[in-house]
Amino acid sequence: MKSVLAVIEYIVKQNIRNKMLNVLTIFSIFIIGFSLAISELAQESEIRMLKDFGLFSISLLSFITLLLSVTIQMFEETELKTMHIIMVKPIKRSEYLIGKYFGIITTLFINILFMFIVLMLVINIRGSDPWELKLLLSVFFIFISICIISSVAVLFSVIATSVPGCVLFLFFTYVLGHLTIHLKKLVAHSENTVIKIIVDIIYYVVPNLELFNLKNKLETTYGLIEPSFFLFIIIYAISYISIILLISIKYFDKKEFF
Amino acid sequence: MEIVIEVKNLTKIYKSLDFWKKDTYTGIKDVNLSIYKGEIFGLLGLNGAGKTTLMKTLLGLLQPTTGSIKILGSSINNTEIRKYIGYMPELPYFPKYLKAYEILEYFADIFNIHNKRQKILQTLELVGLKGNEYKKIKGFSKGMQSRLGMAQALINDPEILFLDEPMSGLDPLGYKEMRDVLVDLNKNGKTIFFNSHILSEVEKICDRVAIMHRGHLIEPVKVSWIIKKFKSVESYFIHHVKE
Repeated sequence: MKSVLAVIEYIVKQNIRNKMLNVLTIFSIFIIGFSLAISELAQESEIRMLKDFGLFSISLLSFITLLLSVTIQMFEETELKTMHIIMVKPIKRSEYLIGKYFGIITTLFINILFMFIVLMLVINIRGSDPWELKLLLSVFFIFISICIISSVAVLFSVIATSVPGCVLFLFFTYVLGHLTIHLKKLVAHSENTVIKIIVDIIYYVVPNLELFNLKNKLETTYGLIEPSFFLFIIIYAISYISIILLISIKYFDKKEFF
Repeated sequence: MEIVIEVKNLTKIYKSLDFWKKDTYTGIKDVNLSIYKGEIFGLLGLNGAGKTTLMKTLLGLLQPTTGSIKILGSSINNTEIRKYIGYMPELPYFPKYLKAYEILEYFADIFNIHNKRQKILQTLELVGLKGNEYKKIKGFSKGMQSRLGMAQALINDPEILFLDEPMSGLDPLGYKEMRDVLVDLNKNGKTIFFNSHILSEVEKICDRVAIMHRGHLIEPVKVSWIIKKFKSVESYFIHHVKE
């Protein structure tokens, strides 16, 4: 357990010290400030636009942060061979991988939290309630979706033989993750069985990230999302992350370091 | 004498990285080797001879195709055994925005070292990095990074030290200091296994050497025997690799 904590601390420290992440944080402040300027143009739905744009920025920037974090780490681990040193220490490969995953998501949690605090401040300044449950839930689910895509990032970083390959696959997974639900609806009435099978495979293999986009799902007869749906997506997230991490560990256990 | 590293009939065949993995390349072939407790053993060879492959296979970074390896009587895949091992790769790299102390703290935590602050400061002093504890790696020269690489290998006070080209990146003064560190460690009973191109240094500090040539290991011999028979390790080396 102490080894896992050491890896988490190391990854977080490394990510936070990296100037790339600092630039992103500044960028997020700029984006949210920009959204404030846009919201002033549309007077009627000013706060609504501000929240939408803020949540969109948080979601996109946290994914970009993940991409950068994975790129830097994978480059150091494979090209600069930092992994060789750690793999000879008394730490199980599974412990290292779990530490790495939680290190990444701790960094992203800090990043999302920081961006959200800025958004709440701006909302407060514009005279609205920043503690609105809908807003808090939306950010929570953005974080959960980032936890899912982070597990995929860990898997790709273990399997991929090059950094660009890993980043490219991760980017496509992110895009597909937001599209699969729409693709499934599109081919539902198609008579082409092959296309249906392909879309089905993609739908079940690629993480369904649109599940976590609560923009249109928040308002229900219960006032907020239905408890069963809430439970379903939490179970889905935990199951998906666990399966992906188990596959990563299985592969990583047999990996050779040239 | 107690054997601490025992290699029997070790072969490593690399599969190519292409999709079909059809092509293969033999890195090392049928290597047999015993390393004794408390000796300094030097592994020599031309580039691509298989020295690093042998070291990585001993350390579990590569899996043997055939053959067996025992370190302190056990498999390297046993994490407990790794508590007694130190490894320094050639030209070690560390994240440039971290400080020397933080790097060693990370490894000390993995080894679960008590009183880690004292141990980290002692180790940094041993490798000549005293006063640079809180300096970021980006301000380190190549030689300083090599010393930090040595420090991380020594943080757990290992029984066996594996060093891949430990003199790489060091200046002539650095050679001497590294040599002194290795000799001191050996005096304290540590077994040292290292790869090197710098034959003059090998001659000064090793008890035994072996040459790796085209994946095959030439029988290990004592340096004192080489000096008697060939006058220098360099002559012995050239004699074998030119054959």
